[in-house]
Amino acid sequence: MSPPVRPKGEYPSAKREGTPASTATVVHAGTLENLPRFLHFIETVCARIEADADIKYALHLAIEEVCTNLIVHGYRGGPAGPIEIAVHDESEKVTIVIRDHAPPFDPARAPSPDLTSDVEHRPTGGLGWHLVKKMMDEVDYVPGTPSGNVLTLVKRKF
Amino acid sequence: MEIELSLSGGITVVGIRGSVDGLTADDLMRILSDRVSEGAVRLVADCSALDYTSSAGLRSLLGAVKLARQHGGDLRLAAIQPPVLRVLDLSGFTGILKYYPDVETAVVSFAEPA
Repeated sequence: MSPPVRPKGEYPSAKREGTPASTATVVHAGTLENLPRFLHFIETVCARIEADADIKYALHLAIEEVCTNLIVHGYRGGPAGPIEIAVHDESEKVTIVIRDHAPPFDPARAPSPDLTSDVEHRPTGGLGWHLVKKMMDEVDYVPGTPSGNVLTLVKRKF
Repeated sequence: MEIELSLSGGITVVGIRGSVDGLTADDLMRILSDRVSEGAVRLVADCSALDYTSSAGLRSLLGAVKLARQHGGDLRLAAIQPPVLRVLDLSGFTGILKYYPDVETAVVSFAEPA
């Protein structure tokens, strides 16, 4: 799949030469049309920070699952608000901070998925938050701050 | 995501390359369900070049397995790479789906009594 054109609103990393930490941020409206832009953003960031395969997979999955939930559930039934994603790269970890203005949804309250039923009775959905929690090392959620709901996800490098 | 279809010993082999995510999972489900509705109910998904799946891809895979089994067949997976296998495992799929180290073994498995 060819990468989308560089989206409006994406601005380059604030990485400074010679410093270990860097931050990249993107903001788009939370619509399905913009999902490729969020995914392209995290791919670009992963390439820039030279993320290894495990970290790249986890970050990509986290961004996809969280953005999809916000688009499909959070902003459903109203005008799509913004989704802002900031990725902070440090020597020992990568931190993703996602801000939105949808009705709050604490991932700790996401129902546990059915992991044991047979094929016939196994629901085909409900795995998104489960995978995010399993693949990221820390998940923190603060609803209703002045800058929206703030979801912080941490992936350790070691 | 790219899909390549072939036939091997009466089994439809579906090569899935790249990423199955929220952008492509519906296409995968459509391709697989079209095969089943055409009567090709015994399928093998060649996952040797499948790099990534999210929950959206898992939904399509499980949906296709259910559909194939409802029609008396199955969708079996082959050559799953470690990162994707980990996601299948975390999702509890490795206990309910049949998967094999390579396509040939998966194809031959259909000749064995279930």
